[in-house]
Amino acid sequence: MSNKSSEQRPHSPKLQEELSQLGLVAAGAIPGALLRWHVEQTGEQVIGGLRGLVGADFLANMIGCLLIGMLVAQPPRRARLYLWAAIGFCGSLTTFSSWMLELARAVDGGHPSKALAVLVLSLLGGLLLVVLGYGLACRFRRE
Amino acid sequence: MSQVLPPASAAFLVALGAVPGAWLRYRVVDHFEPMLPRKHWGTFGVNVIACFALGLLVGLEESCGEAAKRVLLILGTGFLGSFSTFSTFIAELHAVLRQRLWLEALVLVLGSVAGGLLAMKAGLALGGGV
Repeated sequence: MSNKSSEQRPHSPKLQEELSQLGLVAAGAIPGALLRWHVEQTGEQVIGGLRGLVGADFLANMIGCLLIGMLVAQPPRRARLYLWAAIGFCGSLTTFSSWMLELARAVDGGHPSKALAVLVLSLLGGLLLVVLGYGLACRFRRE
Repeated sequence: MSQVLPPASAAFLVALGAVPGAWLRYRVVDHFEPMLPRKHWGTFGVNVIACFALGLLVGLEESCGEAAKRVLLILGTGFLGSFSTFSTFIAELHAVLRQRLWLEALVLVLGSVAGGLLAMKAGLALGGGV
């Protein structure tokens, strides 16, 4: 009889934690995926010659790399920020599978040099932007 | 004739696929982390699986025509686009390079590109495209 009020609601903290994580990831993933899709569509209309890079979601991938560079420089206690912005937003904004699709198409279409260009530009550009984001964030980080 | 999808419902399809894609990536990487020598092999696995699935989807779309446009939006752009990730791959590569693990970095890059391309090829072939 005594502790009834606390037994009435058997809500599990684990489920609540899951739901709050899901909410954070979703809140980042939706704008991330929509921005990627938008950049893709705008790019297809504007750029004709650089079709391979547009198809590979190059621009979205580069923006995501700059952002994630800034995020990995944050102190580890900012787990919720990381979940929302890095795992949700950057993870959805950037994509690996479209990049590989574009490489496979370039190779199959007999343009190995184009495939190599998309590969090298993405890798080097991405690394450079992560380093840049990391450096910027460290510089302006509040101690 | 291709039926043009209103932008709002197309965006809704993309968003609808994006949430389970991102969530599944987070959970899969998180789940396998303790079993793997390094965290980036979880991202690697997710990316390679996504490549295979996208290849399969694109292959099917090329053989099914316009009817598959909506499926491609929700599963391709939304789900697989969010499931696979480039930024985490590069950020983890950056972390490996900062630790001066040159060989590990080389294996990660070559493995991801080769694994992704092979999985993509297999998916495309199985789906009937190219």
